[in-house]
Amino acid sequence: MTEGLWATQVGSLPKPPEILAARSDHAKGRITRAELRGLERTATEDWVRFQDEIGIDVIVDGEQYRGDMVAFFAEELEGFRQGGLVRSYGNRYYRKPVVTGELRRTHPITLEWWEFAQSLTERPVKGMLTGPYTICDWSFDEHYDTREDLVMALAEIVRQEALDLAAAGAKFIQIDEPAVSTRMDELELAIKALGVVTGGLDDVHTITHICYGDFHHAYPKMLELPVDQIDLETTNSNFDLLEEFRDHPFTKSIGLGVVDSHSHRIESADEVANGIRRSLQVIPAERTFVDPDCGLKTRTVDEAKRKLRVVVEGTRRVREEVGLA
Amino acid sequence: MAFQVTAIGSYPRPPVEGGEFRLRKTLQGLDRGEATTDDVLAAEDELTREILAEQAGAGVDLVTDGQVRWDDPLTRMAEGLDGFAIGGLVRFFDNNTYFRQPVVKGPVRRRAPILLEELAFAAANSTRPVKAVLCGPYTLASLSADEHHGDRAALLRDLAAALRDEARDLAAAGAPVIQFDEPALARIPGQPPGDLEAFAAVAPTLVDGVDATTVLATYFGDVSALGSALFDLPFDGFGLDFVAGPQNGELVPELPGDKVLQAGIADGRATRLEAVEELAGRVNDLAELVSLERIWIAPSCGLEFLPREAAQRKLRRLAEVKEAVT
Repeated sequence: MTEGLWATQVGSLPKPPEILAARSDHAKGRITRAELRGLERTATEDWVRFQDEIGIDVIVDGEQYRGDMVAFFAEELEGFRQGGLVRSYGNRYYRKPVVTGELRRTHPITLEWWEFAQSLTERPVKGMLTGPYTICDWSFDEHYDTREDLVMALAEIVRQEALDLAAAGAKFIQIDEPAVSTRMDELELAIKALGVVTGGLDDVHTITHICYGDFHHAYPKMLELPVDQIDLETTNSNFDLLEEFRDHPFTKSIGLGVVDSHSHRIESADEVANGIRRSLQVIPAERTFVDPDCGLKTRTVDEAKRKLRVVVEGTRRVREEVGLA
Repeated sequence: MAFQVTAIGSYPRPPVEGGEFRLRKTLQGLDRGEATTDDVLAAEDELTREILAEQAGAGVDLVTDGQVRWDDPLTRMAEGLDGFAIGGLVRFFDNNTYFRQPVVKGPVRRRAPILLEELAFAAANSTRPVKAVLCGPYTLASLSADEHHGDRAALLRDLAAALRDEARDLAAAGAPVIQFDEPALARIPGQPPGDLEAFAAVAPTLVDGVDATTVLATYFGDVSALGSALFDLPFDGFGLDFVAGPQNGELVPELPGDKVLQAGIADGRATRLEAVEELAGRVNDLAELVSLERIWIAPSCGLEFLPREAAQRKLRRLAEVKEAVT
């Protein structure tokens, strides 16, 4: 890697139609879990190779094997049961898990997928975890007495998972906390819980991804989140947040969202480059990672590929301008 | 007026586990060009009928149409008004639920009735009175991006006049109760409380000439910081969320003797089911301060944050509480 302005991806990538069909077939008992898994491995390989080829510096496995980012972990933990459908927005729904007992991790959840993806590329692959605060906030709790009890129980579980990834060699571990910016009165709790997760991670670049929040209330307190990088959806908020950084310097590395993850429109490389240039006025290149606003799973495969290409192209242009290429 | 169970607004659109989710399939079909808007309308009609019957069956006295035709809590209203465009996804308060942000691009005017047809359909297909629910001007203004007025007071005036016209039409069509949803007035944890003065300036416009029982519904937080001045607003009833805003209890003694208290006592965002005795205890406490016939018990908010089964259980539980109290 050069020493600044790296292109990366937030997390999820769209599932190709054959995976969607296979997931549906598996749910109806028409194909086995092993058959589904084989297809998911192929799709993962395709996405890793694609990112490698177009020049994404820090790669993700694309989460072809995950449904929802919270439900995926909940399904693997003792103490959760699968919940019913709840609306996310428009015509999109997710299964909101229910905590019904004491939580326990009985086996690593993401390790095998990370190892598989990393085996396909020389570039670093991010370990991708969902943070304890978000798992709590996006679940129903019928067991723990307080939200704090549940969040801290989850923190210990996510910590075990992170330690397993680090031991396997992950150099980047992202702990997504999109719910963190929702309730400012609980930011302290989220910070404490994330500290439990990142506490034992030496020699790992730790990241958290935050979105859809009221940043104006969360900043600069947000800088207390115990991670090396905060990944933000800057495009969806018209880069307004960058203005805040003039008054209160952003002291961490930034994951700079430069394309909208929820629109069909493909941004131009010019737009991407302009966003990066604006950000460079307040955050230096050596602390800048460039990516889409959010996971791209709601886009089509084609849209996601085109968005990732403009991320790489826009980043490349600015790299040249600042002498990093 | 009578002590009764009421719904707040939204209702889960997904079926109970294992059921067919026809509306979702039809909307997906529309995206792919395999279904028509008439097909969507038919699926919405079917689901609305189902939800009306389900609420009545659970023992709800004053029902809603469940807002099954609404993409989210705001855009149904915003799309019906001139001057609005629809922007990017934004989180709806502290929920894992999102809305497309309305963007004010020009003067806000109502060009035609917005909800009249769907509420007439609901009324014609319900065995119980149907409450009309509108997004209030303050919340709509607070959650929208204003690229035109640059002055919130002016935007609020425009919105209040437009929504009043809508409310008048609904009342004239026979809606017995019209509820204006103003969650943005509540203090959502970690956010500042609403600006009562700004809302109070347009509230008289909002209800002017509206021939129905009007309710101001707040939820997702507490409005105690607004003080008893809240009850000076010209509504016939006030909705308070006693789950997300336990301090709302402090306001109850201030409620004037001719106003309705719409009491959100069952958590509309948690699957954990409250015990009948617990909720009945809360109602009895309230009844020491407000005469029982002026109390309407309700979930703390709309029920679309719950799976269908959990929503059904909450409503049945409220009906059991009504039995236990009376």
